[in-house]
Amino acid sequence: MAGKARSGGGKVRLPKKNKFGFYEIRMESIGGLGANVAGKILAEAVVFGMGLNASAFSSYGSEKKGTPVKAFVRIASPRTKIRINSPIEEPHVLAIFHESMVKTLPVTAGLPPDGTVILNTKKSPDEARDYMKIASGTVGTIDATDIAIETKSRVNMVMLGAIVRASGFINLDAVKESVREAFEAKYPAAMPGNLKALERGFNEVQFKTFKDDGKYEPVPFERTLPQLGYENAPIGGTIYTVGNTALKDMSASRTGFIPVFIKDKCVRCGECDIYCPDYCFVWEKGIDPKTGKEGMILLGIDYQYCKGCLRCTKACRFGALVPGKESDYNIDEIIVKHKFAR
Amino acid sequence: MAKGLAARKISEEKKPLARPVQKITFLSGNEVAALAASQINYHVMGYYPITPSTEIAENLDAMKAEGIHDIRMIPGDGEHGAAGICFGATTAGGRVFNATSANGLLFAFEQLPVQSGTRFPMVFNIVTRSVSGPLDIRCDHSDIMLAINTGWIILLAANPQEVYDMNIVAPKIGEHPDVRLPVMVAFDGFFTSHQKRIVHHFEDREVVQNFLGPFKPTVTSVDPKNPVTIGPYMNDPDLINNKKQLSIAMENAYRVIPKIFREYAKLSGRRYNLLELYRMEDAEAALFILNSAAETAKEAVDILRKEGLKVGLVKPQVIRPFPAKEIVAAMKNVKGLVVADRQDNYGAWGGQMTLEVKAALKDDPTNKTKVASRIYGIGGKEFFLDDAIEMLREAVKIAKTRKVQVPYEYHGANPGDKNYVPKKVFDPIKEEEASGFLRVETDESGKIDVKGIVARNLTAMPKRIAPGHGACPGCGIFTNLNIFMKGLQGHVVVLFHTGCGMVVTTGYPYTAHKVTYVHNLFQNGAATLSGIVEMFEERKRRGEIPKDEKITFLMVTGDGGHDIGMGPSIGAAMRGHRMIILEYDNQGYQNTGSQLSFTVPLGHQTSTSNFGPYQHGKTTHHKDTAQIFAACHIPYVFTAAECNYRDMIRKAAKAQKYAEEGLVFGKVLSICPLAWRTEERLAMEIIQAAVDCCFFPLYEVEHGITTLNYDPEEKGKKVPVTEWLKYMGKTKHLFRPECKPELEAFQAEVDRRWRRLKEMHKNPYL
Repeated sequence: MAGKARSGGGKVRLPKKNKFGFYEIRMESIGGLGANVAGKILAEAVVFGMGLNASAFSSYGSEKKGTPVKAFVRIASPRTKIRINSPIEEPHVLAIFHESMVKTLPVTAGLPPDGTVILNTKKSPDEARDYMKIASGTVGTIDATDIAIETKSRVNMVMLGAIVRASGFINLDAVKESVREAFEAKYPAAMPGNLKALERGFNEVQFKTFKDDGKYEPVPFERTLPQLGYENAPIGGTIYTVGNTALKDMSASRTGFIPVFIKDKCVRCGECDIYCPDYCFVWEKGIDPKTGKEGMILLGIDYQYCKGCLRCTKACRFGALVPGKESDYNIDEIIVKHKFAR
Repeated sequence: MAKGLAARKISEEKKPLARPVQKITFLSGNEVAALAASQINYHVMGYYPITPSTEIAENLDAMKAEGIHDIRMIPGDGEHGAAGICFGATTAGGRVFNATSANGLLFAFEQLPVQSGTRFPMVFNIVTRSVSGPLDIRCDHSDIMLAINTGWIILLAANPQEVYDMNIVAPKIGEHPDVRLPVMVAFDGFFTSHQKRIVHHFEDREVVQNFLGPFKPTVTSVDPKNPVTIGPYMNDPDLINNKKQLSIAMENAYRVIPKIFREYAKLSGRRYNLLELYRMEDAEAALFILNSAAETAKEAVDILRKEGLKVGLVKPQVIRPFPAKEIVAAMKNVKGLVVADRQDNYGAWGGQMTLEVKAALKDDPTNKTKVASRIYGIGGKEFFLDDAIEMLREAVKIAKTRKVQVPYEYHGANPGDKNYVPKKVFDPIKEEEASGFLRVETDESGKIDVKGIVARNLTAMPKRIAPGHGACPGCGIFTNLNIFMKGLQGHVVVLFHTGCGMVVTTGYPYTAHKVTYVHNLFQNGAATLSGIVEMFEERKRRGEIPKDEKITFLMVTGDGGHDIGMGPSIGAAMRGHRMIILEYDNQGYQNTGSQLSFTVPLGHQTSTSNFGPYQHGKTTHHKDTAQIFAACHIPYVFTAAECNYRDMIRKAAKAQKYAEEGLVFGKVLSICPLAWRTEERLAMEIIQAAVDCCFFPLYEVEHGITTLNYDPEEKGKKVPVTEWLKYMGKTKHLFRPECKPELEAFQAEVDRRWRRLKEMHKNPYL
C-alpha cells in the first residue's frame, strides 16, 4: 500500500536507515506533555508533505496525566513496507520531554553510538551528557518548558522543532502544515504560539557531538523482565505487600511547580492534609511552638509524591504554603520524608 | 479526530480501469473503522465505551457534531444494553453498527447468539483485548476466541488498511440473501487500533453506498401492516432446525465471501482471500498466526528465506466460516507448523487456532504436517521480530526432525527471580490506631451526632491509601477518599469498581491500598461486596471469625460504574447488606478518556457528546443517583463535597453507624481537572461553585427524612450555574449564543430539582 504517496518536494533521501530501511524516532515523555500528538504530527508531515511512508504509535495504557509514555515514529521510503509493530529500541533520534525521567527510568537505553539524544533542560550539552551518562553521539539541549510558557504553547511543539532539526531531512514547513492541520480548526488562537514554539525549538536547540572517550558505558536496550513470574508470583495476582506504591518516585509526574512550606506561618490547622490528593504532608506528634502543648505538627512536604497540583496552596489560609517553580529549588534540600519512606 | 478523517488529499490513484477515486490518508485502526462506518452511514450505532475500542464511537460522535454522517449514536447503559439496542434496531429494519473489546464483548455475550439465531445482520468491530481477571487493557485474542462459536461471521484485519476494507465488505457479506448473519471485524487493540498508517479509501462515500446497495430487511418490527412474531419460544423438536439453518447460512457465507472479496478487488484494487499465504509456494515449515503479529512475522519469513530456509506464513482473513479446506491445501507440503495463539484454551492443550488447524488437517488422510502450539503475546506482551524468528526456527526443526518435542508451550512467559522478596512497607493498620478520633453519639430520638471533627487531630489517623498512586495531579478522587475515610474508624475493607480510582492504585505489582482491597468489574461490584459481607457474617456465626470482629465494608465506584453497575447496586440496596457504597461522581468515564456518563449535565461536552454545528454537547439531563437510592428506602443516603469537608467527615461517621443496620449510599462530586479542563489548584473553588449554584446540593436522607445541610439561598450565596460553568473548558461553548437554549434548560432543571429538594427538606413525608 505504500509507494502510492507522491513526494511534494522532490525525492527525499533518508540520511540513515536501520536494516529494515527505517529511520526511527523515539520520544520519552509523561502523559500530558503531548508526545503522542507530536509523533502523529511528525509522521503526517513526512507522509503528506514529503511523500514518505511512516507509522506512528505510542506505548500507553489508561488516560492519566503524568505517567510515562513512549511515542514512536518510523519513517521509510515510499517503497519500503512497514510491517513491524514492535516498539523502537534503537532510535536514530531520541527525545526526552521531561528531565526528571532520566533519574528514574532507563530512557536513554538503546541509543546507538552515532545517535542523537535531545533533552528538555536548562543544561548545556556538556552538562546534559554527564547528567544522562551518554557514551557517545550527539547531545541536543533545549529549554522546552520555558519556551512553551513564553510562547503560550506546549512542550511537544518545542521538542518537535528540535527533533526536526536533529533529523536533518524532515522539512520544517511540512511539519508546520501538519501542526496547522492538527490545531487550526479547533484552537485557532493557539496557532501563532504553536508555530513560534516549533520554530524556536528548531532554532534554539544546541548540539554537541561526543566521541566514545570511555567516560560512560553505552546502555543497550533491555527488555526488562519482571521480578515476579510464574514460579514466584502469588497465584491469582494477589499483592501481599500493602501500600507499596510508597516505594515509587512520582517526581517525574510533576507539573513543574511545587508548594513551598513557610514553617513560620503554619498554624497547624491540618487543612493541607485534608486536600492533598497525593498524601505528601508529613505530620508528627510534637510540641506546638506557639502553645507549648503537645499536638500534631507539620514537619514539611515529602516531594517524592508531590505532583505539583498546588491544591494545598489554595487550601492554606495562612500563607504557609505558596506556589514555587520546581526548577528554582533544590528538592533534596527542602524535602521532608515520610516516616515509612525514610 | 474528525480532522484526521477529513485529511488532506495529496494524490489520487489513477487506475486504468477507471476505478473510483481513492484518497490517501494517515489513520489509526480506530479512526479508519469510524471512517468506514460514516461512509456506510449506518442507521444506528448502539455502543458503550471500553478501551481500546472507544475511539470508534468518539470519532463518530465528533464527525456527527460536524454533520459528516447521520448515524444515530446511542450510548448504552453498558455493553449488554448496547447490544440490546443494536438487536432492537436491527429488527426495526436498518443498518446497525457497534464496537467493543474484551469484557465489553463478554458482557454483551448473551446477545450474540440471539443476534445470529434470529438472523439479523449487523456489523460489530471487536478491537481485541485481554479478557479480565486480573484486568489488563492490552491486546490479546482471549475475547474474540470466546465469541467464535456464536454464529457470527468473523473477519480479521491486520492493519488499518484491512480495517477499512473489511468494514466495507462486512455489511455486504452479512446482508447477502443467502447469508443473513451478523458480522464481526476483529483487529488488534493498540497495535492496530492506535497505530497510524497510510490508508487508501474511497473519496466519495457514494462509491461505498453503491457497492453495498440499499439495506433490504427480510422482516421488520415496525410494519403494522405486516405483523410478525420475532423471537418465539422454541424448544425441541424445532430448535435443531433453526440451528441447521444457521449452519447452512455459514456454509453459504463460505461461498459468498470469496465472491464479495473479488467484487471488492475490482472496485478497490485490493484483493483478499479467506487465507493469506505468504511465501508458502514451496514452504516446508510454516507459522500460522493472526493479525498484527503476522505482519511482523512476514519480516521474519523474509529473513529466514535469505538464509535459504523454506519457510512461509499463513494468516487467515476469515475465521468464521473457518477456511479448513484452504488450510489443508496450504499444508500439502508443510512438514513442520507452529500455530501461534494469542490466547489459551486452558486444559485443551492448545490455543483455539491450534485445535482448529489440527482438526482440519486430520480430514486429509495424506497430510504429513506436524503441529506445535505456542501461546504468545498474552495481555499485550510485545511480539518482536525475534519471537517470530524463534517460532519459525521451531517449525523448521519440526520439519527436519519430523518430531514435535514440545507440542504445547507458552512463549515469552517468565519464571521470575527466585531470590526476589517483595519489600514490605507498611504493617497492617491496627484497629486502635484508626479509632478514637471521633465520637458518634445517638440520642434517645435516634438522632446521630458526630463530635470531634478537627482536621489537625485527624492528621494523626493512619491513611488507608498510601502515596505513590498514579492519579493525575489534582485528582478529586483521592482528596474525597482521604476526607471520607477520616470519618471511618477501625477496620475497613474496600471494594473498588473498575475506574480511575482502581487503575491508578493497583498497577501490578504495586498497590496503594493499605487495607484489604478487592476489585471486581463494574457491572458487579455491589453484588461482590454483598457476598463478602454475608460470608463474613456467616463465618462469624459459625465461629470461624471472632464474634466481636468489626469491619466496615466500603464500595467505591465512579459515576460510570453506576451506569453499567446500577442494577446490582440497587439489588444490594434492596437486600439491605451492611455496607457503604460511595460514588465519586467525576462526570464521565474519565478512565477511558472522558466519554459521557448519564450524570453528565445537558450540553456538557465529553468525547462522546461533542460540540459542533450539528450537536451541542450532551442531549439529556443528568442522572440523580442519590434520589434513585433514596427511593430504595435504605437507612441513609447522603451527598457531600470537598468544599465542606467537615460535613463529609460527619456523614462518613454517620454512614459507618447506619451501615450497622443496612446499606448506605453516598455521592461526592469529584473534580477531574483533565476532563473538566480546569486548573488543578482551583478544585475546591470549582466544587464550591457547583454546590452554590445548587447543581450539587448537600443533603442527607435518614430513614426517608430529608435534611438540607447547606442552603446557599438562605446564606445569600446562590449563584447562577454559569458561575460554575465558567471555570471549565468542557462547558466553554455553553456561553455561545447558539447554546442559549441548552444553558437555559440546564439552569431551569437545576432550579426545579433544587426547589423540589427544599420542599422535601421542609416536609418529612416527602
